[in-house]
Amino acid sequence: MRIIIIGGGEIGYALAQALSSEHELSLVDNDPAVSDRFGLLDVQFLTGSGTSTRVLDRAGVKGCDLLIACTDLAEVNIVACALASQLGAGRTICFVSREEFAQTGEGRDSLSEHFGIDQIVWPEAQLADAIERIIMAPGAVDAGAFVDGAIRLLEFRLGAESPFVGRPISKLDLPYGVVIAAVHHGEATTIPRGRTVLDSGDKVVLMGTRVAMQTLQRQLAPGADTARLRRVTIIGGGDVGFRLAQHLDSAPGIGLTIVEHDRARGEMLAAKLENALVLQGDGTDLGLLESEEIGRSDVLVSVIDNDERNLLACLIGQQLGVGSVITRVSTPANLRLFELVGIDVALSARGAAVASVVHQIDGGRSSLLQVLEEGQARVVELTVPPQFRSTALRDFGLPDDAVIGSIVRGADVIVPRGEDRIEPGDRLLICTTGLSAEELGRLFAAR
Amino acid sequence: MRLSIIVTIAGGLLRGFGLMFVWPVVVAAYYREWSDLWGFVVAGAVAIALGQLMRLAHPEREPDLRRIEALAVVSGTWLVVAVLGAVPYVWVGLTPIDALFESMSGFTTTGATIFTDFSAFGRGLLFWRSLTQWIGGMGVITLFVAILPRLAMGVGQLFFAEAPGPTDEKLTPQIRKTAAVLWRLYAGLTAALFIALMLAGMSPYDAICHALTTLAAGGFSPNPLSVAGYDSSAVEWIICVFMFLAGANFALQFRALSRPGLLVRDEEFRVYGVVVLVATVLVTGFLWQAGGPLSTAVRQGLFQTLSILTTTGFASADFNLWGDQTRMVLLALMFIGGCAGSAAGGPKVLRHMLIGRYTLTELRRTLHPRAVLPVKASGKVISDTVMRTVLVFFLFYVLTFALCAMAVILLGADLVTGVTATMATLGNVGPGLGEVGPMASYGHLHPLSKLVLTGAMWVGRLEVLTVLALLRLEVWRSAHWRP
Repeated sequence: MRIIIIGGGEIGYALAQALSSEHELSLVDNDPAVSDRFGLLDVQFLTGSGTSTRVLDRAGVKGCDLLIACTDLAEVNIVACALASQLGAGRTICFVSREEFAQTGEGRDSLSEHFGIDQIVWPEAQLADAIERIIMAPGAVDAGAFVDGAIRLLEFRLGAESPFVGRPISKLDLPYGVVIAAVHHGEATTIPRGRTVLDSGDKVVLMGTRVAMQTLQRQLAPGADTARLRRVTIIGGGDVGFRLAQHLDSAPGIGLTIVEHDRARGEMLAAKLENALVLQGDGTDLGLLESEEIGRSDVLVSVIDNDERNLLACLIGQQLGVGSVITRVSTPANLRLFELVGIDVALSARGAAVASVVHQIDGGRSSLLQVLEEGQARVVELTVPPQFRSTALRDFGLPDDAVIGSIVRGADVIVPRGEDRIEPGDRLLICTTGLSAEELGRLFAAR
Repeated sequence: MRLSIIVTIAGGLLRGFGLMFVWPVVVAAYYREWSDLWGFVVAGAVAIALGQLMRLAHPEREPDLRRIEALAVVSGTWLVVAVLGAVPYVWVGLTPIDALFESMSGFTTTGATIFTDFSAFGRGLLFWRSLTQWIGGMGVITLFVAILPRLAMGVGQLFFAEAPGPTDEKLTPQIRKTAAVLWRLYAGLTAALFIALMLAGMSPYDAICHALTTLAAGGFSPNPLSVAGYDSSAVEWIICVFMFLAGANFALQFRALSRPGLLVRDEEFRVYGVVVLVATVLVTGFLWQAGGPLSTAVRQGLFQTLSILTTTGFASADFNLWGDQTRMVLLALMFIGGCAGSAAGGPKVLRHMLIGRYTLTELRRTLHPRAVLPVKASGKVISDTVMRTVLVFFLFYVLTFALCAMAVILLGADLVTGVTATMATLGNVGPGLGEVGPMASYGHLHPLSKLVLTGAMWVGRLEVLTVLALLRLEVWRSAHWRP
């Protein structure tokens, strides 16, 4: 595929990294200094504005398969996509940062339709939604729900005293209907085998039926009582903080406090939110956090636009006794560092967004359900083709980097064991670290 | 403050007002009350001539109107309109003070009367009395904003200076269109009530008079016994419905015509509904306890609750004879009033809501000193400026009430009469309790008391601050004739 990327920031770089080996990439950025960074990748770098037809022409927009506009400015991205679709680009994907652009009206009213944009991606919203999922699953560091909630996914960090530590997976006492889908050890995420031994500090991704996952949650996070009112504090009422607050504001059983530095922004938040308490002040102001008893929060989410301040706010929160801290990380290099110093969950706005775009390009017939560990693993859904011959799972020979989390057959949901069969027409929920879904699809077609 | 500009604009309004006298002339001619008829002709002629003369003050192209000037135009116009409206009463032999009281009571939709013997007055005059309330119900200025094309400048300022309640709602981008829309709705509802009353068996004359005063939340009735004089439960139920509408925000009602769901979503309307319900239950309960059939207690309870809450002031029974518990409920209702943007008087439901919420907010702030705690109504944030105006309004409302009540009592009225007379006039309700009860009149009060209460009606209708802003010496020191 021939792909043009407008904008060489963090998102542009991550996309280039993921796509350059398989596809023909051209990267356009205003700033020639950016090109150094792309020197190691096999891409064509063009200096210029993505909103200039001349530059787009030089990048070969006519006849290219895809244009991705991911500069920091949503307006620039929209103009670039609109121009590109006029100039003959096959598809356009536009990154935006504000709600008004992401709101898609109906038919001709929608922004995407009007400008000929095929898809709008709003990374901040994906981040806010991910944080919401995690808050809603007490004790977990990531969470998801598929097949209308029949299948749940939870990711836990194992403490030293966890019953899972020190034994091979095949010897673990897992509730019936749960599989360990992935293990994050050190910096790598892998699909575990029966002989894999879990270590303290590892993160495990588990998938299973709703009831089984509830049992498991009681086992792994016994303190997490869902019936009680949970206090959530959000530091920073920017795009992510506001969207998260909007979702949590009306959620039952959640008491919400937001700390926002800017007076006018705080007033806007207070105007739009029904129940949340909006505090005007600095999220790293110890006096404020103490007098408002932020330490009694169950969850503290720090989503300021500044990694250092986020880290500081989280550390203060932990000192004050907050149950768990979640923060946003802008610089990918800091991600690991944050988790090392004990931040429970560190997420970047770009991770999930980039993975979802990459999956679309390489995904084939499968659809992406969830991105795990900043894109290191994905949960995808794939329908078994009709010509496939029924096979028992243990005879199927699934590659090492994928695991079938569940099989959906009509109204039934099966968390498979070795003797369960894969039938044509089944929908498979697969957790994979390396395989592109297209490769998986080929796997089924070959038999 | 540029007096020439104020005079010019007021002159334009007065000229328009003069034309209003055509209607009582027609009615008087129909009933062949020739001597009364000339009173209307003279008053109309004076209004038009005076208006014309005042328009000469500043014939050039008009500059922008300043806020204080808008307040002066509104306050002054209402005063002059009341004075000119009093001319027909003087013509039939009332003293000037009584005439001014009755006229002001009309335009401010109060409904307090000094009449005792209604048979002494012609049908033309009683019609004029009802018409003044109808004009005042939606607002003198609003009417002329809607119909006079000449009035271009400062229209918004005038409109909102007169509007009841802390709203600044425009239904259309242009104020003139908004005013026209509101008047059409108002006239439509009046026509609907007229037809309903006719169907309930009222004579056309009585039906039109009651239609005019019900929608205005006024309460003048050509019958000395008020609505009780018709002894018809159908009439009472019909008037209940329209009193409820007159006490609700007209702009909201207009928008609800196309989207009925808006009514339930509007917080003030909901609170208004709850107040009506609770008060009705209380009054009905007390009446039932005192004896009599439940159906009568319910009907009278609802009627009197609505009549007092919407500051209409009709009586379907002599509520002055009811027990003190019931009278206390009615007294409390006088202090609430209808919705903002309605024809009702009083401090308004919205202001009570805002002050209640503001108080809670301040209490919450003691726990969270750094919290951002806006006061909201129907999801919209009330700005600090508006909140301050609401608080100051309340302060001055209570202050005006205290001073006027004191004056009336010192001038010889008893305590209940003095307090309720002031509350009923300042809140534009009409009948009070004691010697100014629904079947009595204000006629026997000291002439100075009548003047004080006339002032209270004026100040109450224009929501206190509009008038009180002009009382500052600084305003008049800076007053000058030439722009």
